[in-house]
Amino acid sequence: MDILKVDNVSKSYTNHLALDNVSLSVPEGSVYGLLGPNGAGKTTLIRIINHITAPDSGAVTFDGHQLTQDDVVHIGYLPEERGLYKKMKVGEQALYFARLKGLSKRDAVVELRRWFERFEIMDWWDKKVEELSKGMAQKVQFIVTVLHRPKLLIFDEPFSGFDPINANLLKEEIMRLRDGGSTVIFSTHNMASVEEVCDHISLINHGRNVLSGNVDDLRRRYFGNRYELAYKGDSDELSRALGDMATEIELSLNPEGYSVMSLRKTDSAALRDVIDVSNRTVELISIAPALASMNQIFIRTVKDTTL
Amino acid sequence: MNSNIKLVISREYRERVGKKSFLITTILMPILMLGLMVAPALIMSIGMGQSKTTVVVVDNSGIVANELKSDENTVFMPTDATVDSAMRRADADAILVIPRELMTSKKPSLKYYSNGPSSMLVETTIRSAVNEIVEQRRLRDYDIENLGEIMQAVECDVDMSTVRLDRENAETASSELSSGLGIMLTFVLYMFLLLYGQMVMTSIIEEKNNRVLEIVVSSVKPAQMMMGKIIGVAFVAVTQIVIWGVLIAAMSSLVLPAIMPDQIMADVAALNAGNTAALSDTADISLLQAVAALGNVGYILQIIGVLTLFLVGGFLFYASIYAAIGSAVDNIQDASQLQTVTVVPVIIGLICAMGAATDPNTPVAFWMSIIPFTSPMVMMARVPFGIPAWEIIVSLALLFISFIGMVWVAAKIYRVGIFMYGKKPTVKELIRWVKYK
Repeated sequence: MDILKVDNVSKSYTNHLALDNVSLSVPEGSVYGLLGPNGAGKTTLIRIINHITAPDSGAVTFDGHQLTQDDVVHIGYLPEERGLYKKMKVGEQALYFARLKGLSKRDAVVELRRWFERFEIMDWWDKKVEELSKGMAQKVQFIVTVLHRPKLLIFDEPFSGFDPINANLLKEEIMRLRDGGSTVIFSTHNMASVEEVCDHISLINHGRNVLSGNVDDLRRRYFGNRYELAYKGDSDELSRALGDMATEIELSLNPEGYSVMSLRKTDSAALRDVIDVSNRTVELISIAPALASMNQIFIRTVKDTTL
Repeated sequence: MNSNIKLVISREYRERVGKKSFLITTILMPILMLGLMVAPALIMSIGMGQSKTTVVVVDNSGIVANELKSDENTVFMPTDATVDSAMRRADADAILVIPRELMTSKKPSLKYYSNGPSSMLVETTIRSAVNEIVEQRRLRDYDIENLGEIMQAVECDVDMSTVRLDRENAETASSELSSGLGIMLTFVLYMFLLLYGQMVMTSIIEEKNNRVLEIVVSSVKPAQMMMGKIIGVAFVAVTQIVIWGVLIAAMSSLVLPAIMPDQIMADVAALNAGNTAALSDTADISLLQAVAALGNVGYILQIIGVLTLFLVGGFLFYASIYAAIGSAVDNIQDASQLQTVTVVPVIIGLICAMGAATDPNTPVAFWMSIIPFTSPMVMMARVPFGIPAWEIIVSLALLFISFIGMVWVAAKIYRVGIFMYGKKPTVKELIRWVKYK
């Protein structure tokens, strides 16, 4: 089931079209990457999902019904530029935001204590935010975002400003939340982390959804369902043995010194036969679908759709 | 969502009242105000004794020189020398030349040569001294018998105490006191409107810059967020006024009778009873009236009540404008130009209030105290004189109605402004934002 469906949403400002008929569906329990170059319209879309601004046309469905103001308590949003009151104490501030999201004071205190203990930051409770370092403030911001156990979490560049250890901690927490039943929307420019954590993505460019889909599918499709074989042995012999099972063969060497054959499997051939034939002909080390990096996909798609 | 606006109000309120600076300003402000009133007099009295001017008098008429009396500020030194040689004297700050035809001319002209800047005070003293000498001498020339006694008998120094006839219990209120009180109240309002208005503005700019709004606005509607802030700050202002009110009322009912000499308190009691005959000979009516007014707790509470109403109304009105400005810009520097929209009417109000404090019944004072932009300040200048209640009610009603209109406009600008970063908008653009659906 889709927790969030965006149907043909358009939004224009005075001089430009921020979103042009964007549609996407976020499956429940998934981590959904929202990608796109700066100024593509991601933030506008996030604001619409957050019920901050209304679309000019189109519909947003949340959890099976049209998105309303009341749904906002089920959404947690971590904006790219962090938003905390600098002069307010950490604990007090977290409680304030939790209560704005509909938690009772008592529940908020209980939840907050649990998170603070988890992150081992109990002694920050009475500190002012301005006394914290940037990374520390971001931890607080993260807690504020997830404290009310939202069904849908929206993270805008969550890892920026974190050191690798804390970034990892955060990644684990996000995965844990996903495993606990939350759905995560991820907006980022860090393509490596998209490969790592996202199940699905949508790529927005110039206000349009130019690419949507399952991350693994997309990466495979990019090279036209090619496979890469690493082996020791005679490449000519292998290509002869494969015969009409493979086309568009390219040869190269990988860093470990093995020969690498990149090929496109013809539709009639079964992958098992390809493996069998290869195994008999050469010493096969590995066979894997050729995966494009999200970086390659991002750059090419944006270039192709920018004209 | 209604509970959320309460949360916002309580956060705004507690953030400010909880601060040490709030406590300090609440206590220091009255002291500062008192200082502002006393300081000019203090400076004057210190300044008087300091400069001493030596004036060499070249008296061509031969009448004045010996009769000019030196005092602590001005020392007169008669001389027979010519002007030229007098000018060379090292000890002279100035030279006064009296013309020969002093007695005969209708409008004799003195000459005053000064070494360096001349003091207006000295010039006035000299002119009135010479005038008096000439007048005395002219009178004496008429050769009237017992002139001295007659002059003394003729002398008079009038005191006036104003009694309002249209009031049930004939209050005594001198216009001097009302005027002073009016000016003070106007200043209180002026300070509150600008200080607290700007407080709303800067805090919105801050929220916008650190993106707190992006989070909060997903839970609270922008208009509610704005109202929550304005109302929260309004409560802070009211808290401050109430604390002052309690302090002043306590002072007037407890402290004032304790520190004033018994004689004065007895006179005040007599004055309040309308028994002017019972006053002691030394009574200074305007002082007594001031003491009477300050000691009248009911009068003070009434004034503070009206002040609070206008303060809240005026604040809500101006804070809405400030909120719109704050939402539209990224930093205080950009806000300064747009702020003229608020500062100019407030200052016009202040100037009109000064006029209204001397004569509360002019048409300008009346209309300015009805029109919302200037009404809080001008009305507060008029209130101590005891103006008809309907004027206050009409003015308040108009103020609160325009506040609602202003909030509506401000909320529209705010809603768009808080997500606009970078370019500073012009007033024209702000108006366009209002028209967005």
